Amino acid sequence: MKFVFKILKDFPSYLWSGWGAIASIFLFFACWDLGYQIYGELVLPSPLETLSTLWVMSHNDSVIEDAKITLYRAFFGFGLSVLFGSILGLIAGLFATASIMSRPIVTILVGMPPIAWIVLAMIWFGMGDFTVIFTVVVASFPIVFVGALQGTRTLEGDLKEMGKSFKLPLHVKFLDIYFPHIFSYIFPAWVAALGMAWKIVVMAELLSTSDGIGAALAVARSHLDTPTALALVVIMISSMMFIEYIILEPIKREVELWRN
Amino acid sequence: MEEEKLHATNHYMYYPDEEKNIPPYLAYGFRPVFLLLAPYMVISMLLWGLVWTGVLNIPFMNDTLTWHVYEMLFGVLTAGVMAFLTTGLPELFPGMVPFVGKRLKYIMALWIAGRVSFWFIDYVGVYVVALLNLSMLFWLIWFAKEIVLDPLQRHASLGYTLVVIFAIECWFFLSVAGVVQTYSMDILKVALGAIVVLILLALRRVNMEAVNEMMEDKNIDDIYISHPPLTNLAVFIVTLFTVVEFFYPENTVLGWIGLATAASILAILNDYALKDEFILNQPYVIYLGSIFVMLALGYGLMGWDLLNSNIYGINHFRHFITSGGLGLSYLLIMIIIGWIHTGRHLTSNIYTHLMVILMITATVIRSLIPFFDNYSSYMYMISAILWAVPFVLYIKVFFKFLLTSRADGILG
Repeated sequence: MKFVFKILKDFPSYLWSGWGAIASIFLFFACWDLGYQIYGELVLPSPLETLSTLWVMSHNDSVIEDAKITLYRAFFGFGLSVLFGSILGLIAGLFATASIMSRPIVTILVGMPPIAWIVLAMIWFGMGDFTVIFTVVVASFPIVFVGALQGTRTLEGDLKEMGKSFKLPLHVKFLDIYFPHIFSYIFPAWVAALGMAWKIVVMAELLSTSDGIGAALAVARSHLDTPTALALVVIMISSMMFIEYIILEPIKREVELWRN
Repeated sequence: MEEEKLHATNHYMYYPDEEKNIPPYLAYGFRPVFLLLAPYMVISMLLWGLVWTGVLNIPFMNDTLTWHVYEMLFGVLTAGVMAFLTTGLPELFPGMVPFVGKRLKYIMALWIAGRVSFWFIDYVGVYVVALLNLSMLFWLIWFAKEIVLDPLQRHASLGYTLVVIFAIECWFFLSVAGVVQTYSMDILKVALGAIVVLILLALRRVNMEAVNEMMEDKNIDDIYISHPPLTNLAVFIVTLFTVVEFFYPENTVLGWIGLATAASILAILNDYALKDEFILNQPYVIYLGSIFVMLALGYGLMGWDLLNSNIYGINHFRHFITSGGLGLSYLLIMIIIGWIHTGRHLTSNIYTHLMVILMITATVIRSLIPFFDNYSSYMYMISAILWAVPFVLYIKVFFKFLLTSRADGILG
């Protein structure tokens, strides 16, 4: 509870510290506008036009429907990776043998390009929801797994021993020694995995489905409708930034505060 | 008494003693400047108010607008910089001999000559005005050469910015004299950018002194640090805005840069969020913080104006920067130095509150004129009056301090 309070208390000053970032985003918009003035509307629509397209799109039911579908796929896939990645990673971290064994497999999973997974998934599962979700899981699972594994592997023996010699009850040991340590590893891994899921979902949709933001992007491409394509990109990036910087980053800061 | 001697007394050991019986109003650099600047602000602002409402017609001066901008930028700037440098440098560089007495009187006479020549420019000619005003700024740079020559370069940025401002003033006079073809007004906009940079750099020093002094007085156990990267970001983007505005004043790219400038200036406010203590409710933090808010509003609204084809108020919005940002900076530097360097504690009272509130109100009224076209002549006059009142209050509260020796008995 104290933890949540602290996050809420620091939130306004955290939010205010974003002005520097906003300044650099506006500078990026200025460069974008310059690009528009040099290359013309077809190649790069102006930021203003993109934003006005976005405004029109936000009142369009089919776009909202697409966004909901994409959101569902991304979060479902991400949820599965978090669930299995965390549990399996924690277990693997507890046993040295298991971690020796799982390392190479994770390396293979991480090393395989997501686009190859999409192709395989399309062959295995055809076009549709399942292909997208599978790709998301396969791409973000290893990140969570490694985070969880690192968390349990690096638990400090000294602290464990201290807990033992002071005869700490199990729940105290868990809440004050194990949990903060593991969480400080696993949480950033979740954040990274979410970012990965968000990117993969659009790519998978673009290639393998007829609905969702990725599919809308494919339609925009075939119509050479650059403003719509850019507006969709803005939707993806801004929703990602909102989740990452407004919701997750403040928690991450608190979680990592005790680590130097 | 012992505690009072803690602040703003570095100069004390090096105070010159060859000149006897220096009157209090010449005992330290800021004193004559503020004694002259406060009434000058009141009189000139009321005159401008009458000019803009059409009541008064200045027969001399063919281009009133250009000269209005010139005087409010350069005429006031030299006084402000004079007070800031002659007061601040002996504190920043212990060992430097304070600039007082007769020599101070002569330099102030040069400033007065600059102002008189300005108002009678049609009689004395542009070259005399240029000579007097440029030599004033040149002397200031010469006086401040220490900060550029300082091997550690701690405050050198101030010196370099002053040199740039001097070059811009030369450029302005060359344009007025017809030697170069650039529009004088465009040069004045460049000058405004350079002055905002100077103000941001100076505020970093003023903030460090004033906020920490205030916390020490109130036993707030924390330390305020004005982080250079935040100021540098704002300086960089303000410079970018100024350069782009000179070459492409109507471009939408400039609009986005304007919004970026606003955000980067607001980012400086992060310095006030201290690690342990909460100081955002302290009057001087609110006063000083409102300078940044005014500057940011100016750049932000100018950017918005450029991106929005339905609004034409860019030069009105610019008054958030000039009347608001620059005006408040001068006023607050006058207030802060007026307390601390006359051997007093940094105090806030109903007068200081009123001064800041009135100046902000005047700025808002002046800047929002494009939205209330029907009332514009009233708004010009009201904002001019409200803007002048803080300086009247300044005369009432601070002149007795400026005209008597330091409250703690120290020289200076």
